[in-house]
Amino acid sequence: MTTPSAPPVMNQAQDAVTQAADAAQGAVDAAANAVPPVPPVHPYLDRGGLIHGLFFRNEGHTDTIITTDAMFMLIFWFSAFFFVLLMVLMVYWTIKYRRRPGVAPPRSSAHNTPLEVFWTVVPSSSMLVMFFLGFWGYMNKVVPVGGAMELNVKAQKWDWTITYPDGTQSGQLVELGGRNNIKINVLPEDTDVKLRMSSIDVIHAFWLPDYRTKMDVFPNRYTGYGFHTPKLGPGDDHPEGRYRDHWVFCAEYCGDLHSEMAAIIRIMSREDYEKWLKGQGSTGDPVLDGKKVWQTKCATCHTTDGKDNIGPTWLNMYGEPVEFTDGTSLVVDENYIRESILNPSAKIVKGKQNQMTSFQGNITDEEIENVIAFMKSISEAGKTEGGAETPAEGGEGAPAEGADHEGGEGG
Amino acid sequence: MTTVDSIHDHVHHGAHHEEGSYLTPRGGFWSTIWSWATTVDHKKIGVMYLFAVMFMFFLGGMAAIAVRLELLEPVRVVQENLADGTTVTHITGQLFAPAGAESIDAGNQIYNRLFTLHGAIMVFMFIVPSVPASLGNFFLPLMLGAKDVAFPRVNLLSWYIYTTGSIFGIISIIMGGVDTGWTFYTPYSTNTDADHWRVFFMVLAAFVLGFSSILTGLNFVVTTHKLRAPGMGWFDMPLFVWAIYATSIIQVLATPVIGITLLLLLFERLFHIGIFDPGLGGDPVLFQHFFWFYSHPVVYVMILPGMGIISELLAVHARKHIFGYRAIAFSSLGIAAVSFLVWGHHMFTAMGELSSTIFSALTFLVAIPTAIKVFNWIATLYKGSIAINTPMLYALAFLFLFSIGGLTGLPLATLSTDLHLHDSYFVVAHFHYVMMGGTVIAMIGGIHHWWPKMFGKMYNEKVGILGCVLVFVGFNVTFFTQFFLGTQGMPRRYASYVDEFHTLHMISTFGSWIILAGFLTHFFNFVHSLVAGPKAPPNPWGGLTLEWETESPPIEHNFHHEVLVTHGPYDYESVVPPHCDEKDFPLPEGAAS
Repeated sequence: MTTPSAPPVMNQAQDAVTQAADAAQGAVDAAANAVPPVPPVHPYLDRGGLIHGLFFRNEGHTDTIITTDAMFMLIFWFSAFFFVLLMVLMVYWTIKYRRRPGVAPPRSSAHNTPLEVFWTVVPSSSMLVMFFLGFWGYMNKVVPVGGAMELNVKAQKWDWTITYPDGTQSGQLVELGGRNNIKINVLPEDTDVKLRMSSIDVIHAFWLPDYRTKMDVFPNRYTGYGFHTPKLGPGDDHPEGRYRDHWVFCAEYCGDLHSEMAAIIRIMSREDYEKWLKGQGSTGDPVLDGKKVWQTKCATCHTTDGKDNIGPTWLNMYGEPVEFTDGTSLVVDENYIRESILNPSAKIVKGKQNQMTSFQGNITDEEIENVIAFMKSISEAGKTEGGAETPAEGGEGAPAEGADHEGGEGG
Repeated sequence: MTTVDSIHDHVHHGAHHEEGSYLTPRGGFWSTIWSWATTVDHKKIGVMYLFAVMFMFFLGGMAAIAVRLELLEPVRVVQENLADGTTVTHITGQLFAPAGAESIDAGNQIYNRLFTLHGAIMVFMFIVPSVPASLGNFFLPLMLGAKDVAFPRVNLLSWYIYTTGSIFGIISIIMGGVDTGWTFYTPYSTNTDADHWRVFFMVLAAFVLGFSSILTGLNFVVTTHKLRAPGMGWFDMPLFVWAIYATSIIQVLATPVIGITLLLLLFERLFHIGIFDPGLGGDPVLFQHFFWFYSHPVVYVMILPGMGIISELLAVHARKHIFGYRAIAFSSLGIAAVSFLVWGHHMFTAMGELSSTIFSALTFLVAIPTAIKVFNWIATLYKGSIAINTPMLYALAFLFLFSIGGLTGLPLATLSTDLHLHDSYFVVAHFHYVMMGGTVIAMIGGIHHWWPKMFGKMYNEKVGILGCVLVFVGFNVTFFTQFFLGTQGMPRRYASYVDEFHTLHMISTFGSWIILAGFLTHFFNFVHSLVAGPKAPPNPWGGLTLEWETESPPIEHNFHHEVLVTHGPYDYESVVPPHCDEKDFPLPEGAAS
C-alpha cells in the first residue's frame, strides 16, 4: 500500500491558517491607522475558487470568516485526499482481484503490524493538529474584542428583538428572499460588535451564516459572541443606497414558525447608520410608536390588514366583540389587550391555539400603551371613540393610516 | 447452561433430514400463528423483529418522503390583485396547507410533526433495534454454534416490549403526532401541546422501547460469554459477533440513563416539578446533558452492528481472511468505550468554552478506531477473489458512504467550524451518511447476504444489483447536496427557506424519489423470492462462519450435532467451505488441506 505522507498537506494548510490570522490582524491594524485594508487572498486554500464557492457562496472579509473558511478548506482537502486514495484502491482492487471461476486467489497476509501502527499514528497526529487549530479559531470567535458595541438580543417565538446601546429597537420591515416581514437591523461597517442574548420562552439559536458562527439563546442565562462587521466594498452599491445584507436564522427548533424566524443585519456606512438609528427612535406620536412596536414584536403573528395568521388580525379588532375557546366573549378594550400581552393564555380567541408566550419582561408599559393607541387607530370603533390616541388627520397620523394596509409587506 | 435442550444431539447425529426447518408450519393456520406468538426460538423472534423494524422503516421512510416533498418548493404567502380591485391571499409551495388557508402556520405544524415522526420512528423504533434484534437475534447463536440465546423467554419478552412501545408511538401518531423533534429538547417539549396526551405517549413509547434494548443487550452479552461452541475462543468469533457484543454492552450501560431522563421529562410535563423548565427554576441544558449521555453512545449502537455486517460481507465475498482481525475487534470495543465520553459535542453552541474544548478533544478520539476499521476493510480486498453481487456491492457502497460520513464528522468536531455548521443541513447530511449510508446500507446488504439462509430461497441477483445502484445513486443525490445547503447557511428543521436554497432543495427531493425506487425494487425482489425464488443451497456464498454449516433455512435446533470448532471464521486459504466443492472454491497453492 502506498500511503503518501501527510505532513506536506498539513504544513501547507497550517501556514495558510497562520497567514490568514496575520492578514486579519493586519487588516485590523490597518483599519486603526485609517488605511484601507487589503482583502487577504489565499489561493492555495481555494478561497474564492470553485470548491470554496460551492461550499460558501458568500465571500467574507472579516477575521473570523477567514479562519473558519481556511480551517474548513484544510479539513476538506485533507479528507478529499484520503477519501480519493481509499476509493481508488477499493475500486482498483475490486476490479483487479475480481473472482475468476476455478482460479485460486493468491496467498496474502492477514495483518501487517508496521502498516497498522502507521495508519493508527497518521490519523491520531492529524486529529491533534485539527483539534488545536479548531480550538484557536473558536476562542477567536467566542471571545469578543474589548470595547465592542454591545447589542442586546431578545429571542421570542418567532422573532428577534435587537436593542442598540442607546435603547433603540429596530422596527423596519422589508420583503427579502421571497419573505415578507423581514426585520432590518442596521450596523455600522468596520466595527466590533458583541451580542448579549437571552430568550423569553424556549431555546433559540442566533446564526449569522455570513459570519460563520452561532450560539444558542437560552431562557435562563445570557450567551453571546463577538464579530467584526466588514468594510463595504464596490459590490455593495444598490439603487436604494450603499449597504450589505446578512441573514440571521434561528438554528434551534422552536415551533411552528421556526423557519420564519429570520432577520437581516444590514451593514451601512457610519453616517448612514447614525441617520437610520435616529429614524428608529420615538416619534412622539403614540400611534406611530405603537406601529413600530407591532413591527418589532408582533408582526410575525398578527396582521393589520385583515389577513389570517397565527394570531387574530388587529384590523378592526379594538372595540369589537371577540369569542374565546371556552365559549365566553367580550368586547376588546384596553384591559383585554394588556392582559393578552402579559398573560396570553388567559383567554384564547376561538379558532386559535394557545401559542403566544408572555411578553412580561420584553415590553414596557409605555410600549403597551402605544400598541393600544395603534390598535385603536386601525379600528373603526377605536377611531370613532375619539380622544388623544386618535391620530390627527392629514398630519403625522396620515402615513400611519396609509401604512396600515401596506405595512405587512412594505417597510 | 441448561436452558438449551440438548437431547437431539445424540439422537439425530448424522440424520440430516429428519428434523424440519424452523419455518415448517405446525398444524393449521391459527396454531401456526400461536406457535410464532409464543415461540422462544431466536430465529423466529429474529424474523418477527425483522418484519416489525422493516414496517417501522417503511413508516419512517414515508414521513421522510413527505418531508422532502414539502421542501421541494419554498412556502410563500402570495398576494394577488384581481381585476375587480380586491386582493386575494394564498399560500404557494405548501404541501399540507389546508384549502383556502391564508397563513402558513397550519401547514408548518404538519411539517413539524412529520419531521419529528421521521426522527422518532427511525431512531427509537427502527435503527436502534434494527440489526441487533433482527439479524443479531437470528445469527448470533448460529455463529457461536449455540442452539439459542442464553435466555430465550427474555428474548420473546423483549419483542413484546418492543411491540408495546411501538404501539404507544403509533397511538401518539393517531392522536395527532408530536412536534418536539425526536430530541424532546426542553423547555419546548415540556410546554408544547400542553392540553394533549400525545407528547406523553411518544415519550412513553421511547421509555418502554428502552427496556427492550436493555433485555436484548443483556441476553447477547451472556450468550457471547457462555454459549460459544467448544473450541471457539474469543478471537475465533466472527467480527459480527464482536460488533454485536460491543453494541450490547453500550445498550446495557446507556439505556437506563435515557429511561430516567424521559421519566423526569414526563414528571416535568405532568407535575411541573422544575428540573428542566427554567420557568420553574430548572435548567434546559441539564436535559441536553442527560439526553446526549445516552443518545451519543446509542449512535454506536446504531453503527457498530453495521460495521460487523460489513466485516462479514467483505470476508465472505472477497474470500479473504479479514485484514487485521484483532484491530477490528478491539476498535469495536474502543469505540464503545470512547462513545461514553463525547456526548458534549452535540452542545458546542450551548456550553462554556472549557467544556466545549474538552469535548472537542475527546471527540477526535472516535476518529481513530473508525479510521483503522476502514483501512482494514479496504486492505481486505487486496489479493482477494472478489465476487460482484448485491451483498458485495452494498459493502463497497458502505465503504464509500461511511467514509464520507466519517470524514464530514471532522469539521463538526473542530470547534471553529462547528460553530458555523452546528444545527445546519451539514449535520443532517453528515448523520444521514453515517446512519443511512452506514447502518441502513449495511443492513440491506446483510439481509441480501443472509436471505438464502433465513428463508431458504435465492433472490434475483440482477434485480438486487439494480436496487443497490438506485439506492446508492439516489442517496448521494439526496444527501450530498445537503452538505452545500449546510455550509451555505440552511438551518435544520425548517419547513421553508429563503430563495437562494431552492435549487439544492429541489435536487435533494428528486434524489429521495430515486432512493424510494431502489427500496421498492428490493421489496418486490424479496417478495418474488419468497413466492417463486429457487431453493437456496446451505452455503451459496462459500462462507466459513458456523451459520453456513447448517441447512437453509436452519433446522429448529440449529445444528444436527454438537458443533466443534476446528477452524477460524476467515481461514479461506486453508479450508474449503462446508457444503462446497473444492472445484468452485479452490485453495491457494500449498494449502494445508
